[in-house]
Amino acid sequence: MSKTLEFSIFEIIGSSLCVASSDGQRVHDRLVAALKEGRSVTLSFHNITTLTSAFLNAAIGQLYGTFSEERIRALLKVQDMQADDLALLKRVVETAKLYFQDPRKFDQAVQETLGDDSDES
Amino acid sequence: MNSSLPAIHHDQAGFEALVRLHGQTKDCVLDDIAIDMSATTWFDADMCAALGAILYRLGEQANTVKLQNIHPQVENILSKNGFLSHYGRTRIPDHWGTTIPYHRFDVKDDRYFADYIETELMHRSEMPSMSPGLMKKFRESVFEIFSNAVLHSRTTQGIFSCGQFFPRRNRLDFSVTDLGIGIRQNVQEAGLNLAPEMAIAWATEGRNTTKSGQIPGGLGLKLLGEFIDLNGGRIQIVSDAGYWRREGGNTVRCRLSQPFPGTLVTVEINTADTQSYILTSELSSADIF
Repeated sequence: MSKTLEFSIFEIIGSSLCVASSDGQRVHDRLVAALKEGRSVTLSFHNITTLTSAFLNAAIGQLYGTFSEERIRALLKVQDMQADDLALLKRVVETAKLYFQDPRKFDQAVQETLGDDSDES
Repeated sequence: MNSSLPAIHHDQAGFEALVRLHGQTKDCVLDDIAIDMSATTWFDADMCAALGAILYRLGEQANTVKLQNIHPQVENILSKNGFLSHYGRTRIPDHWGTTIPYHRFDVKDDRYFADYIETELMHRSEMPSMSPGLMKKFRESVFEIFSNAVLHSRTTQGIFSCGQFFPRRNRLDFSVTDLGIGIRQNVQEAGLNLAPEMAIAWATEGRNTTKSGQIPGGLGLKLLGEFIDLNGGRIQIVSDAGYWRREGGNTVRCRLSQPFPGTLVTVEINTADTQSYILTSELSSADIF
């Protein structure tokens, strides 16, 4: 059985600030290379201080466009994440699953959205 | 071309004044544009991001812009934050350290923007003491706003930011403006034809995104709104002729008289917020995927 790969986000992007979608893309490219080969990956967030949804969407969210939920669940693990960062990642993952179920479905909840607001002129 | 500006506060009337200025000057090419600021008795410093964007656009059309009759106290603050350096004035030191300098970034300047935020906001001794949780949420929010501009605006003329904090009022204002296509057009290209203010409302809901292709989106503005609700602050967005505001969990939207040439997001943070922002329910890393 192949050894689990450990990717350090800090090493990949060279910063504790994970804010740019382009940096997320670099993490994503490494993950894709490993997951395509069926390798297990542990993604370490050690020394990461700031995360945005834009970074996580690019790094991890878009994996759901290529791999099944089952495959991602079986092969990918994260470690060294603070509780609030885990919560953000969970939301990114849930959003990505919905997005790839029907990526062009834009009218979802529009009426509720607009109905919730108050008007002012 | 001669134009003028009234007092500019960080509110709907302030945005209205700026879109009027844009409306009056947007078609000028190779012109001398004099903006009379004798009636500008107040200028909320973070609004430099919006004014700077409008004036930069005029410069791109080969116009020469002159700001005239500036009140001394307005000149003082706009010189401290570096805004007037772009219009022939000398920058003066900010001894109280309450300004967050005016800056223009290109869309590829993510790292540069991150350095700016760390240097000018997070690691300044003059910053009000905020709880570590609040600092983290605020930092994330600012980056979400910038990322949103990078991902959606398609601007070729840049992204502008500026801020100010008010120690006695426990308030920090920060604005990010782009000269991109605006939320309405983004939403329109995604297949929905909404009024400008409706398009902003739509984009601020979680799961709604104008992004298509391989990278999902749709959380940034939603997260920002949630944080502002918890913090007791305020967020305002102007895009096209739409105006949208969220404060105390309530949302207001309306139409400005003319469009803004891009999107402006401005936040007011309550720096005296003592919430820990530490989650009470533990989420296991095994339950993420």
